[in-house]
Amino acid sequence: MIGQVQKPLEEILEYLEGREKIVVVGCGGCATIFHTGGEPEVKEMANTLAQHGKQVLAAIAPPLGEFTCYAPWSTARLSQYRREIEECDAVLLLTCGDGLQVVREFVLEKAFGLQKPVCPGTNSMGHMGGGPTLFKEKCMQCGECELGRFASICPLTQCPKGFLDGPCGGTTRDGKCEVDPERDCVWVSIYERLKEFGRLDKLTELREPKDWSKMQRPRQIEVVPLDLGQ
Amino acid sequence: MKTASNLERVLTAGHFAVTAELGPPKSADAEVVRRKARILKGYADAFNVTDGQTAVVRMASWAACLIQKEEGLEPIVQMTCRDRNRIALQMDVLGVAALGIHNILSISGDHMSFGNHPQAKGVYDIDSIQLVKIVKDMRDEKKFQCGEEMDVEPRLFIGAECNPFAAPFDFRPYRLVKKVAAGADFIQTQIVFNVPRFAEFMKCAGDMGLLDDVYVLAGVAPIKSPGAARYMATKVPGMDVPDEYVQRMAAAGSGIPREEREARRAAQQEEGLDICVETIQQVREIPGVAGVHIMAIEWEGAVPLIVERAGLLPRPAV
Repeated sequence: MIGQVQKPLEEILEYLEGREKIVVVGCGGCATIFHTGGEPEVKEMANTLAQHGKQVLAAIAPPLGEFTCYAPWSTARLSQYRREIEECDAVLLLTCGDGLQVVREFVLEKAFGLQKPVCPGTNSMGHMGGGPTLFKEKCMQCGECELGRFASICPLTQCPKGFLDGPCGGTTRDGKCEVDPERDCVWVSIYERLKEFGRLDKLTELREPKDWSKMQRPRQIEVVPLDLGQ
Repeated sequence: MKTASNLERVLTAGHFAVTAELGPPKSADAEVVRRKARILKGYADAFNVTDGQTAVVRMASWAACLIQKEEGLEPIVQMTCRDRNRIALQMDVLGVAALGIHNILSISGDHMSFGNHPQAKGVYDIDSIQLVKIVKDMRDEKKFQCGEEMDVEPRLFIGAECNPFAAPFDFRPYRLVKKVAAGADFIQTQIVFNVPRFAEFMKCAGDMGLLDDVYVLAGVAPIKSPGAARYMATKVPGMDVPDEYVQRMAAAGSGIPREEREARRAAQQEEGLDICVETIQQVREIPGVAGVHIMAIEWEGAVPLIVERAGLLPRPAV
């Protein structure tokens, strides 16, 4: 999932300055889980904007499981509000940055042929897993998964220096990370797991520098469309 | 000889080597480097200049190395992977070799969050072990990391750091295996205070056959004050200062009245120098220790005293 938090209201109002008629769009995926763009947050934002003198033409909260970042779904959902969207001065997205840009490019520009200001209401914080309360960043989508070499723990994401060659010299004597002494050094965890599996030899392998070109942005993938039976 | 390095000559001839650290200024003042160089000259075989230590902006290592070279010292340029990707690092490797610098120390670098620009983006494209391998391939294979060849190779004596005191302790020799396999010619360790633990590490490294292929220089440092002892013992990650030294520093000068601040400070510094000299004598007895690396941080004047009292003068001319 994409971890996210709401932006400060002042920043959102700054984006909407001079724009009176607003459409608010949430997401039934990550933004619902993270309480940034689920149904309650979409309603609350609509009320807040009304209090600040805005006219909210539509407050769209897709149901749980309907991801705004999936263009076929958001196109179908927003088509129901086409009139309001055409009339509005700006669209406020309570989604991750992907959701926002999918709505801008795939829905508004390509499907509807509209040029509208589309503003963000959240700050995306990365690819996270866990829950229902605590979520942690575990994967940085490097394009070449290293988990098979490191006892299923990703040092690129878990080590602040992203080392692939073992711990730095700053690990504390009780095995904590020098950057955040509250956290275990990930290399201590990797070492202990590899030791348990009898695979410490993995740690003496000299490795070529990582191929960061696999992370060269922007990346894109083409797939066979999912048959949704619709 | 792999290079024209004085440090390589001293080590190869079997002398107990001495290197020392020269901290570059937080300014463009070349005179600071020259002044420190004049204090240090003749008291070590080569002199490291730190490279953005603790992630604080200071004069670039290569530039301060060039200034100390003009003063007649042999520089060891430190190169951190924190601030530069593999393109910039290889460019600098070519540059320092072209400037007549013969030694390099590869380091990963302290995290940005410790420094004076904590909002900086860390690079860490490669790590210190990979940098060692890259410099070795540039020197011995005349090849860049990408595989392309060059006409004139950088002939550098290659060093790496090693911290025997950080967790997981029994993993540390494995990390040394990698540094040696990557091509490190010499190792400079974290500051040694816990000598028995360091001896244990060296025995392990010896049993693994590592010491035949690399020269290990034990890091040492004079403690300047009781506060510095406490700070290093409790606040510096990866440092192991036995309580005995914290006590000794606290007791030093305790007989001198508080008003006589200068005399107290002198007594404390004297104790710090004594501990450092004792440590040198102890690590010298450990099989496989080829020399010492003295890190007198912002106290370069301590180096001549330590080297002299440890009986390491004159430095060999080879």
